[in-house]
Amino acid sequence: MTVGHFVRHPEWSQYTTGCSTYVADLRVPGALTARVLRSPLPHARIQSIDVSRAVQAPGVAAIVTADDLPERRYFHEGPRLADRYPLARDVVRFVGEEVAAVAAESRDQADAALRLIRVAYRRLPAVTEVDSAVRPGAVAIHDRPTGTNVALRIERTYGDPEDADQRTHVEVRGRFRFGRQAHVCMEPNGTVASWNESSGILELWTSTQSPYFVRKEVAHVFGLDMDRVVTHEVAVGGGFGSKSKIADHEVIAAALSMRTGKPVRLVLDREEEFATTKCRHDFIVDLNSGADGDGRLTGRHALIHVDNGAYNHSGASVTGAGVAKLASMYRTGGVSVDARLIDTNKHPGGQFRGYGGPQVLFAIESQVDELADRLEMDPIDLRALNANRAGDVTLAGWRIRSSHLVECLQAVREAIDWDEKRKLGGSGRGVGVAVAMHVTGARTYEDANRAEAGIDVCPDGRVRVRFGGADPGTGQKTVLAQVAAEELGVDVGDVDVVTMESSSGVFDLGAWSSRGTFMAAHAVAKTARAAAATLRERAASKFGVGADDVVLSGGHASAADDSLPLGDLVGLPEDTDGELQVEDAFTVETELVNHETGVADLSPTYSFAAHAAEVEVDRNTGEIRVVDYVAAHDSGMAINPVGVNGQIVGGVVMGLGAALGEELIYEGGRLVNPAYVNYAMPRAADVPPIRPILIQHRDPVGPYGAKGIGEISLEPVPAAIANAVAHAVGVRIRELPLTPDKVLSALRRGVEPSAWRRFRLWRRPGRWWIALMRWAYPRGLHHVLHRWGTKYAHAPKDENLSFVVVPRTVQEASRLLSERVRARPIGGGTDLLMVREQGLVQPTGVVDVTAIRELSRIEETSTGSARIGGAVTLADLLRWSEASGDEVLVQTLRTIASPQIREMATVAGNLVQEKRCWFYRNGFNCYKRGGSSCPCYAVMGDNRFYHAVIGAHRCQAVTPSDLATALVALDAVVHAYGANGRRGVAVAELYSGPGETRLEATELVTDVEIPRSSRTRLSRFEKLRLWHGDFAVASAAVSLALSPAGQIEDVRVVLGAVAPVPIRARRVEDALRDQALTPDVIERASTAWTVEAHPLQANAWKVDAASGLVRRALRSLQGELPDVSPSSAPAQPWS
Amino acid sequence: MPKYSLLVNGEQVELTVSPGERLLRVLRDTLGLTGAKEACGRGECGSCTVIADGRPVMSCITLVTRVTSVETIEGLADESQAVREAFADEGAFQCGFCTPGQIVRAVSVLRAGVEADDSVIRREMSGNICRCTGYDSIVRAVRRVVDERDEAARR
Repeated sequence: MTVGHFVRHPEWSQYTTGCSTYVADLRVPGALTARVLRSPLPHARIQSIDVSRAVQAPGVAAIVTADDLPERRYFHEGPRLADRYPLARDVVRFVGEEVAAVAAESRDQADAALRLIRVAYRRLPAVTEVDSAVRPGAVAIHDRPTGTNVALRIERTYGDPEDADQRTHVEVRGRFRFGRQAHVCMEPNGTVASWNESSGILELWTSTQSPYFVRKEVAHVFGLDMDRVVTHEVAVGGGFGSKSKIADHEVIAAALSMRTGKPVRLVLDREEEFATTKCRHDFIVDLNSGADGDGRLTGRHALIHVDNGAYNHSGASVTGAGVAKLASMYRTGGVSVDARLIDTNKHPGGQFRGYGGPQVLFAIESQVDELADRLEMDPIDLRALNANRAGDVTLAGWRIRSSHLVECLQAVREAIDWDEKRKLGGSGRGVGVAVAMHVTGARTYEDANRAEAGIDVCPDGRVRVRFGGADPGTGQKTVLAQVAAEELGVDVGDVDVVTMESSSGVFDLGAWSSRGTFMAAHAVAKTARAAAATLRERAASKFGVGADDVVLSGGHASAADDSLPLGDLVGLPEDTDGELQVEDAFTVETELVNHETGVADLSPTYSFAAHAAEVEVDRNTGEIRVVDYVAAHDSGMAINPVGVNGQIVGGVVMGLGAALGEELIYEGGRLVNPAYVNYAMPRAADVPPIRPILIQHRDPVGPYGAKGIGEISLEPVPAAIANAVAHAVGVRIRELPLTPDKVLSALRRGVEPSAWRRFRLWRRPGRWWIALMRWAYPRGLHHVLHRWGTKYAHAPKDENLSFVVVPRTVQEASRLLSERVRARPIGGGTDLLMVREQGLVQPTGVVDVTAIRELSRIEETSTGSARIGGAVTLADLLRWSEASGDEVLVQTLRTIASPQIREMATVAGNLVQEKRCWFYRNGFNCYKRGGSSCPCYAVMGDNRFYHAVIGAHRCQAVTPSDLATALVALDAVVHAYGANGRRGVAVAELYSGPGETRLEATELVTDVEIPRSSRTRLSRFEKLRLWHGDFAVASAAVSLALSPAGQIEDVRVVLGAVAPVPIRARRVEDALRDQALTPDVIERASTAWTVEAHPLQANAWKVDAASGLVRRALRSLQGELPDVSPSSAPAQPWS
Repeated sequence: MPKYSLLVNGEQVELTVSPGERLLRVLRDTLGLTGAKEACGRGECGSCTVIADGRPVMSCITLVTRVTSVETIEGLADESQAVREAFADEGAFQCGFCTPGQIVRAVSVLRAGVEADDSVIRREMSGNICRCTGYDSIVRAVRRVVDERDEAARR
């Protein structure tokens, strides 16, 4: 018996030794590498494309543009909605849209050729946000019959909302926004395409969840018969919905293969993954929810704006799915909805785990808590009262065959100790709950209720499962091996599962809509039973018994005293290739989705879940820490419990990402944060252990009683967190993600600003010029600089490194730096190599200083100071500091980047690293990158996190080094060696601007010295960041010495990431000097610096957050004082 | 282009590399060792983690000329046996793309003698992004091997 029990993944050994073959790993002799030329503009007409120089570039085999492809759009959801060509034809509609593609012998050659393609664009007005797209007179991105930039409109009522409103006793209203989340599959999307001209067969190895849809679309675009497009099995590195339909690489790779007659590999890079692949649709949901006096839900009314991006793809069905869920959650009196799918000039949305569900659930489930509040009811009780139960038919026509939602609610109530924790409300710690329901394989296509499978029993007794779908990491292969083993009585280790091979001749639509296990397990079970019946019959005739007397077990067919290995029962004349090959199809009765009424029982069954979260909110900084998380699921019986738990935990953490940090951020239609380092998705240390609870009951229609699990685990998470935050601190935040800026701003709302910060610009003539510039930016200056100033930007030269030299002495290194033109010293290279690729510095070569022995030494001098060599790695310094007891260095270093980066990155490199402004780093032609005719994009763009609130001039960036912040507080001195010999510079004096030092280009940092006097002070480093290893949003280092009487005699307070350079907060120091470290003094002192601030329009909250960090640092030092016991510390004003 | 000698999984190989060549490209394209994966190419995700001269590093941003010896997931198959089995038993991989990097990192964490503390393990594993598992199973797998190691040391 394997079903219901954990078994290892059938290919665990390959996966854990690096032997699984993904698209990028395939060895394809003679394969060309493809790269894509993308639109730099959000909306423009293509006037001409000149590839004449590029085709002659070395190694180039072919270039394709729209003219080289048939004039056919992707089919997607049918001809009515089809609106996108595989390569842009005449018009580009988003930054990153595919314009041309090159196949060359190497990637470098392909990249070089892209730079030689000349495209003449004529700019068109762009609408990059929903509100500007629906404004009267807005430019139309497409010609839509439903209205300008309205790709689809759904106006419906379900039930009788007017009648329901009559019973409404309490009503809540609000606007909820989910934001755009990226899938961030770890494997970049990719395809190997190979066209065989003579056979007319196109072979594809592609990272997909659904080989069927890829074949269908590719065949459609090229006008081929579908059986001419052949897919092969390949490992798929994550999908989460993004790969459930064709992506945008398959056709391009195929077109290049057809042009060249050679295999072509196209693999996206990470920036393309973030900036051009389809993401979760941003929903703006205006919702009213009502309840009667007993807490029964009455009317629910929604106006929904869905940001479609530039093309339809799945926008229509995601919107439809969101509407259906809105009408199905809970027993509700009536629902009215007006949903509009709005075109914008951004990369399109697509399918994403949850499919519109998370967005509407965030609104619904937040309001259920608000209703509970108004009704003075317990939120769990209110949900249990209204829960969908077995036998119900929802307003959208969903027939609930099994529901254990109430049991799920009870389970989380107990697991999180709800009744006790609810008493903590307002204390900064709180608990919240949210629920979800989801389809198990919606019938959104005619054939979506059907799946086929093949079972082959081989002469050696092994069993092969043939399946047409794919396992992108969902564990489907494991489940199918278990099912086959179960039905055929063989060991699960004797089952091989082959997926994605179109030649295996079995039909399946793929892994999406939480259908993988349901459809595939049914199909394989049915087919395996047919194979088992044949085996029993064959054995029966050999044994001379009835087929019913034969038992299949342990790889044998047995009856009474007779037993034969299964392999001995195959190889009959009627068998193919000596194997018993059986194919069968499974069909389930469901209703096809109804686009007119929105009412259909489109899923064979429905899953349910209740989640509860406990959070802690730091009122100093607005940070939310998830302390505990329980997730109870009614997904029927688990076929593989470890796999089900993995889907739950993985989904919850992905939901926590959406709840707390993940969002794609745009400026002028261009993605600002197309990099892991700029995208706040959870790392291991950011999340608590998640506690899954399986409420297992046999579903009447599910295979072995199982229902879907893949998507539902993500859906309740944001609302559970928002509800917990509301409970913890009493503020309701309706816009995701719940980043510290929103939390802290909400906490301060209603508090008189003058109580904690006064900027007094009128008294500071030194800031008037900057204030004037900032005033002028939105009034035309930004537009002028962006539109015309950037034409004069200096372009980076593209040169390869011509040398790497490895000197052995400081003198030699210094000499090399003076002699070689544009040579740069390199330590770990973790930054220099990146900024070189980003076109920010152009060294011709590098001088590797890590072989200079004295630079890699750390020592305590005879005077007790610490001397740290410039090439010491951060990891070595951390280990040394742990041993030496330099706690503040330990605190600082542990927050810097990742352990692997710290093993490479050096102390000197950390201090001199380039600024991390996400505009500057990610290709915006800004003031610092392009020169003085260019704008600073941070003035108008998203400056909430990584820009200055004090002292900035034309560039708003900050010095990113956390080590510098700590070292200033420790009075450290940098020693440098150059043409004029050795000199010392205080770290406090090191910086002239953001990430810019006063060192000469020929000078080398030899060491950093921390004097004994500061090492013996009480010191503390605090940092606010969006994810573990992120650069500082703000940081504070405090170092102080106390007199014997407990007065502060000497003090340094340094703020990092709030100004272009790390700054001493002298006013704070003045407020602390000669004082005892009491709560009153701490409170007064921590905000004393803020009169000097000059924040941008969206980062004033950082002034409060930085003050909060100072407060936190001082309080923690106060806690370390020997004469203050923790119990005597009085209540803190902000918590 | 300069000739260059590198010890790869215990075997000395001679290479011709251009200045600025990254270790990951040499491993994957020249030596055919595709276990280390490129997910970002910028040292931000950990998928390409290898052990270079005893240190766990991101091979996508490591200059190959900087390294004299490298151990990859392929070469660590034996040493990582317990980690690999723990990954399989805890469900610590789903799509598997980040897994080689996770396992190499886990090996280096074990070599460094990490303490049996889940929060320390989480911190030490935070340079390796996983989008599938939510990390619990990875932390449990590493913890299991740490506990087995500590148990063996006590005996």
